Amino acid sequence: MPITTAHAGRTFPASAPYEVSRAKIAEFARALGDDNPAYFGLDPVAPPTFAAIIAAQAWDALFDDEELGLALNRTIHADQQFDFVRPLRAGDVVVATLSIERVRTRGAMDMVTVEVDLAVDGATVCTARSTLIHTREEAA
Amino acid sequence: MIQGESRELRVPVTRADVVRYSGASTDFNEIHFLDRRARAIGLPGVVAHGMWTMGAALRAVTDWVGDPARILAYQVRFTKPVVVPDTDEGAEVVVVATVQDVVDEVATVGLAVTCDGDAVLGAARVRVHVGEEPR
Repeated sequence: MPITTAHAGRTFPASAPYEVSRAKIAEFARALGDDNPAYFGLDPVAPPTFAAIIAAQAWDALFDDEELGLALNRTIHADQQFDFVRPLRAGDVVVATLSIERVRTRGAMDMVTVEVDLAVDGATVCTARSTLIHTREEAA
Repeated sequence: MIQGESRELRVPVTRADVVRYSGASTDFNEIHFLDRRARAIGLPGVVAHGMWTMGAALRAVTDWVGDPARILAYQVRFTKPVVVPDTDEGAEVVVVATVQDVVDEVATVGLAVTCDGDAVLGAARVRVHVGEEPR
């Protein structure tokens, strides 16, 4: 059964905690070609878009939910928005909670807006909202 | 930052950079390192990750204000992939960041992000804390 507008509002169980490390922050900053000193040293902050690593892992819940019939290899990332309460820092243990905010269907295409809440010690540090466009198999 | 002020940033990207971003981001979609996978979905060849483009473009703003903790919000649409040819030069992404307005110590900065003259990000906007005290 495919995803429908009735799935808007569904919230998935929180992800396993993700611990932000200095090494991963440095690796990610280098992959962006960014040598900002804030990303290195003993007490670095993560580049803002580091949040996408954790958010995208939370999307797995969406693709693992058989009721929705969504396949990652037929999905494209159409837009992305981050709202930051504070930057992620080395040592943060982040719990991600995914919810489906909105579903629109056009022919064989489902446009799914998802929101991932990233929280440390129970307080939101970042909200990552994404629109994913999925093409159903019968049309592919 | 003053309304109308702008900065330009040019970011080169080679296949080695794309592979590096795959590992760092843990996004191992094969269209980012195998031409045949990219062609199977209608792309001319390997493309950079949209999230790489989004992250690399933001440096136009973080280099400007210095402290990345000043970034309050950032949004983009992925309008066209950055195709990265298998050459030493690869591709080049050009970012022009322009301050749209400054209200209550928050600047809204628009990003025009292109590759080979085509927009690769759309509606790209950053909200930045520009008060004297860091956030």
